Amino acid sequence: MTLLNRLFHRRRLYDDLDEEIRVHLEQRADDLSARGMSRKDALIEARRAFGNVTNIQERGRDTWQWPTLDSFFRDARFALRQLRRTPALTAIIVTTLGIGIAASATVFSWTRAILLDPIPGAARPNDVMALESTTPSGSWTPVSWLDYRDFRKYLRSFDDLAASYPLALALGDAARPERVRAELVSANFFDVLRVRPALGRVFTAALDDAPGSQPLAIISHALWQRRWRGDTAVIGQVVEINRFPFTIAGVAPKNFRGSLPGEDVQLWVPATMVGQIMPTVSSMLRDRDWRTFRVLARVADGRTTQSAADEVRRFGTFMSNVNGGRSKGMSAMLLPLWRSHWGIQDGLRAPLMVLLGACALVLLVVCANMATLLLTRATARRRELALRMALGAPRARLLRQLLTEASILAVAGAALGLVCTFWFARSLHLLVPQFAAPSLIDPHVDAAVVGFTIALACGATLLAGIAPALHGSRERFDESLRDGARLSAGTHATRLRGLFVVAEMALAVMALVSAGLFYDSFRHTRSVAPGFTTDGVAIGSVSLTLAGYDSAFADDFLQRVTERIAREPGILAASYTDYVPLSLGGGSWEDLQIEGYAPQPNENMKTTRAAVGPGYFETLGIPMLEGRGFRVDDDSAHTPVMIVSDAFTRHFLNGRSALGVRVHGWGKWFTIVGVAQDVKTFRLTEPATPYFYVPVRQVYRPEYGYTFIAHGAVSVEQSVRSIERAVATIDPSVPVYGAMPLADYVDAPLRGPQTAARLLALLAGVSLLLAAIGLYGVVSYSVAQRAKEIGLRVAFGARKADVLRVVGTQAAVLLAYGLIIGLAGSLALGRIVGSLLFGVSPADLTIFAAAIGSMTLITIAAIGVPARRAMSVDPAVVLRGD
Amino acid sequence: MAETDARDLFPGALEMMVLRLLKLEPMHGYALVQRIQQASRNLLQVEEGSLYPALQRLLKEGLVKAEWGVSATNRRVRIYRLTPAGTKHLAREVSSFERMFQGISLVLSLGET
Repeated sequence: MTLLNRLFHRRRLYDDLDEEIRVHLEQRADDLSARGMSRKDALIEARRAFGNVTNIQERGRDTWQWPTLDSFFRDARFALRQLRRTPALTAIIVTTLGIGIAASATVFSWTRAILLDPIPGAARPNDVMALESTTPSGSWTPVSWLDYRDFRKYLRSFDDLAASYPLALALGDAARPERVRAELVSANFFDVLRVRPALGRVFTAALDDAPGSQPLAIISHALWQRRWRGDTAVIGQVVEINRFPFTIAGVAPKNFRGSLPGEDVQLWVPATMVGQIMPTVSSMLRDRDWRTFRVLARVADGRTTQSAADEVRRFGTFMSNVNGGRSKGMSAMLLPLWRSHWGIQDGLRAPLMVLLGACALVLLVVCANMATLLLTRATARRRELALRMALGAPRARLLRQLLTEASILAVAGAALGLVCTFWFARSLHLLVPQFAAPSLIDPHVDAAVVGFTIALACGATLLAGIAPALHGSRERFDESLRDGARLSAGTHATRLRGLFVVAEMALAVMALVSAGLFYDSFRHTRSVAPGFTTDGVAIGSVSLTLAGYDSAFADDFLQRVTERIAREPGILAASYTDYVPLSLGGGSWEDLQIEGYAPQPNENMKTTRAAVGPGYFETLGIPMLEGRGFRVDDDSAHTPVMIVSDAFTRHFLNGRSALGVRVHGWGKWFTIVGVAQDVKTFRLTEPATPYFYVPVRQVYRPEYGYTFIAHGAVSVEQSVRSIERAVATIDPSVPVYGAMPLADYVDAPLRGPQTAARLLALLAGVSLLLAAIGLYGVVSYSVAQRAKEIGLRVAFGARKADVLRVVGTQAAVLLAYGLIIGLAGSLALGRIVGSLLFGVSPADLTIFAAAIGSMTLITIAAIGVPARRAMSVDPAVVLRGD
Repeated sequence: MAETDARDLFPGALEMMVLRLLKLEPMHGYALVQRIQQASRNLLQVEEGSLYPALQRLLKEGLVKAEWGVSATNRRVRIYRLTPAGTKHLAREVSSFERMFQGISLVLSLGET
């Protein structure tokens, strides 16, 4: 009879049995009646001879019971009773498991939000990849519109390619302007991402062929709810974007936040409308060297990403050869979205990977610890298990019993972990400051994270439950039952427990070392002098494009606001720039020609720069090594001037005096009038690289996004307000955004590494504690087991010191193994993470010594209690036996 | 059935006897009980009901088959029949039992000759 049959026919089987028993009783009664017994007595006698009918019916049915399901609940009930009997142990296992799972699930939820699900709301996002241009030196750069059009036209590996240029736009008329994050997109943007509008329609692909013809806009769900209160009549309404009237064509679905990880885009406008909203940069669509776009490519069905990447590289190289000029030596590459250079994930990849690794490490420690503790208990329960086996419990049954216990612990741990995860996941802002990634304030605990947690719990059960279970069922039970069995604990179990404790200690050492390395690396990063001052410095940004300013007006506005800020009480100096040093990404470069410098063949002369206002160096406290800073009269009416960094002179001028050297860029010659000390431009950890400054008023700028800088002797908050006040005085229709102390701003990129270092330290502490618990368990168990032996030794004259040596030796051996394996593991780990460290060697002696010291101290602490118990063993008591 | 020195069976003994009886001919539960009592001359104490869980076990193991039929007294009864697997199982059990019995007898007869 098949299992399935049995399941469906069980009812009938039971009925057959009942009927059979009934017939049996009747037959017996008939026989008895035939021998002259009264019918009533016959029935009673028949029942007596038969035995307990109900009991027999049940026993008959039991035969057919689904074995696992039925006994699972019995096992579970029994396990719960067992666990209640040892509350401390249960609490330790559940808590540590909960912590381990919560930490892992939290980091996973962050990873998912930042790396794995970079474009929420897009259908089949795994087929979408990022296409980036590469410079001759191999670094990435955005894609120009014309290149994008060619990629779209000629590449065969893709369904379609979309382009997007993220920026800020002004929404609404002069009376009520609002600055919103926006993307200028190719008309097929929504089609490529497969995003359906919640309302209205998306752009049609034909838009790209008729620049400037269709002023249509798509708004985000959030913007629709906020500004139009969810009114469906919004479709077809006209709204001003950068003072140009646009018709709202559609509303994006609620979960779609644009194509940039971490950003909250509110508005999408066709890239072909760029001439209307930013007249000064309309040539962006016609200049092949104007690289501003992020390109998203959907790989066609049946194409592998590898073949697509090959085609991109081949075609990118081919195109740059055909186009020549400034494209020479360039190429293109295809990257998965999580490795794309756009967006915040670029800076968070390393810390997240390290944290994930550390969490995996801690989870392993948790499992090893759980296994140790369960094993200790399984050994303590040998007699019970032996008794049950002698009474006929099958071995598989006992195995199941032990696994059931482990899984109950795992379920409890997972539940605890999940609750904590919901709570922890919200702390993502620790890793990324809110102003850098507005969309990441929401917790991202969804089905995938819950699934991940469940998978972790299952893994933990198997890892931690199987060893004790196998061990338990492997016991020679008859031996366990014999009288003197307790004198010698099973060597097998002892070895297994020792193995787990060594693993725990080794993993803890690795966690300690990596935490130390990353903390030290962070400390070194932190202590790097950026080369400019942040004390008392405030910043605040404006976008003049969106206020409708053209070049001449913009220069005038910037100068007037700066003068106004300088007149505010307590302000010592003020200036402006188009790039604040140590911004999260960004930066612009210019192709330079330097008098007297012959570039190497293929040398990349694209040099990063900032366009700044007069007084910039004084305001930020950047020392001038030679010459002068910029003055108010460095304007379009005067000779173009340039100030270069120290590294610039070292690299290009080879020690010559820089003053008076002429440099070509923006189609004209600049004269170097000063040399400034090097500052950190993108990252604190970068080496000094050539950098230069030009006056805002002497260069052609695509956009008028500027940041005012104010250095005050007053509190920095007052300086922040000074900027806001000054802008409002000169032109109240220009909104100020991102007004904050400069220190907060430049600290933002450090948040990730800082939080990662702190979390690593926390995780290392947890694993150290766990190792201590495991060690304590093993040593105190062995002291209890060896009480008789110790008692004997004391009776024969062993002193306390001798007893201590017995206990100490055991711990020392475990510690030695743990340290050796742990240090070897740390060295191996150091090779992997070495490239992520700054200012610290992956084999740093101090850190290794500190890890060894902590592990040794915690070992001593862990064996303190059991050692004292061993020394106070009274031979008179233990030898008398039980 | 008033034998005071009747004794309990060891595990598996009932199943073995059931299989042996079914080897003679297919029969229903009540008939099995009667045959055991007759054949053992009431030396064995068998609670009549305990036959049925034993039969269920044999059914599940596939050692016997059962189908509804009509008894000599014209009652609807379930008639059990030995399967080929049951025949094999019986042979194994009997030989193992005989060895055990022989061993026990040898020990018990020590010093009696």
